[in-house]
Amino acid sequence: MVIDTLKCVGCSDCVVACQTENDVPIGYCRDWITETVNGAYPNIELELKSERCNHCDNAPCVRCCPTGASHQLDNGIVLVTGNECIGCGACIESCPYDARFQHPDGYVDKCTFCHHRLEKGQLPACVSVCPTKCMYFGDLDNPNSEVSELLKNRKHKTLAPEAGTKPHVYYLI
Amino acid sequence: MQEELFTSGRNLPHIDPSLEIWHWPISIYLFLGGLAAGLLFFAGLITVLGKEKDYPAAVKYASIISPIALTLGLLALFYDLTHKFYFWRLYTTIRIESPMSWGAWVLLIITPISFLWVFSYYSEIFPKWELKFDFLNKFEKFLKDNRKNMAYALIPLSIILGVYTGILLSAFNARPLWNNAILGPLFLVSGLSTGAATIILLAKTKKEKHLFGKIDLALIVLELGLIVHMLMGMYAGSEVQLEAMQLLVGGEFTLMFFGFVIILGLIVPAILELIELIGFKVPVAVPALLVLIGGLVLRFVMVEAGQITRYLY
Repeated sequence: MVIDTLKCVGCSDCVVACQTENDVPIGYCRDWITETVNGAYPNIELELKSERCNHCDNAPCVRCCPTGASHQLDNGIVLVTGNECIGCGACIESCPYDARFQHPDGYVDKCTFCHHRLEKGQLPACVSVCPTKCMYFGDLDNPNSEVSELLKNRKHKTLAPEAGTKPHVYYLI
Repeated sequence: MQEELFTSGRNLPHIDPSLEIWHWPISIYLFLGGLAAGLLFFAGLITVLGKEKDYPAAVKYASIISPIALTLGLLALFYDLTHKFYFWRLYTTIRIESPMSWGAWVLLIITPISFLWVFSYYSEIFPKWELKFDFLNKFEKFLKDNRKNMAYALIPLSIILGVYTGILLSAFNARPLWNNAILGPLFLVSGLSTGAATIILLAKTKKEKHLFGKIDLALIVLELGLIVHMLMGMYAGSEVQLEAMQLLVGGEFTLMFFGFVIILGLIVPAILELIELIGFKVPVAVPALLVLIGGLVLRFVMVEAGQITRYLY
């Protein structure tokens, strides 16, 4: 997933779309908006971005899960199987992005990149509703995909790369 | 200057301001697990060395505490699970990469052994309560004959249990305070030290008190060394580790860490035990209790402070 921080206006449509699509219980969320202000007046820079699970290549949550409920699909998406999860919280502690939470039903929940929609050929809910079209979703292994092209041509960053998790949500800056 | 705020989503009671998922039962369990590891290690070691007669508290009386500690610890762990009735999922798989999986399996083996161990001493610990059934007497005899085999199993298992309580935390690279390799040995040594302190409390002979006083003193010195190493490692670490360490040195956990863990839990009992070993009269229960309290506070400080440390926000 690629998110253009220069286009994002922080409207939170992605947050609401996700909560609606995935029936996220009230008071919880799988994605969120951060607003970062750098510098001191009058020289300030504002960055808005939508954050979520980074579906890391070297996912610490998958590594530390004692039951294998947290797992990674061949396409790189990291998922949790609710009825294998014991709710120990190890994956929540292991995530540098704090992307996971304990669902009121007990198991651990987080962003799935709307896996159920991808299977039908649709985009993740957050991407499909973004009014400024600042979010892009596609196959990073395919060098000709839209996301690969964007990363080739634009300056970008990932969050906390020093944590060594190889995150897969890229932010254009 | 940088200021970061959540416009939407993250201002939630279960996620922010700090992601505290592990509460007091985890700290209690880490303490009890370490204590049981220490007690079972010494019981196993004394038995393998063939010194059961000289050190009855270590093999007999103190080992009554280990199954109790393990049971309470397991109940605490179970209490902190949020998807409780799926706990059996731990035992449908072995995940080498997950310390918690290791711990779950070791606990599954060591907890029954700790019960069997106490049962093998049943007629010596409870001479007044005779076993009513013949097969129980036979079972006790069988366990008695196999005590040495149990001891051989207990030594490696208790070391894994002791180390695992630390590695459980240090495996999380997302929490900089925990993410250092010394936490495993530190928790093992602290567990052994609390085990030795419990044996001192229950020992009746001077010889046994003295031996475990010496062992405990050595373990305390080792533990102080490991803590210095941990702090030095973080001082020389990355920005997130420096921030993490500042919680312990100069931050909100300073009094707990230096006051209760290092001074009251390690330095004061070390001095008292030293004075006692030189020959002055010191009630040995005092340093032993201080060591136990220090061990418990160490677990609380590490679990609570570690969850505040993070990479982002």
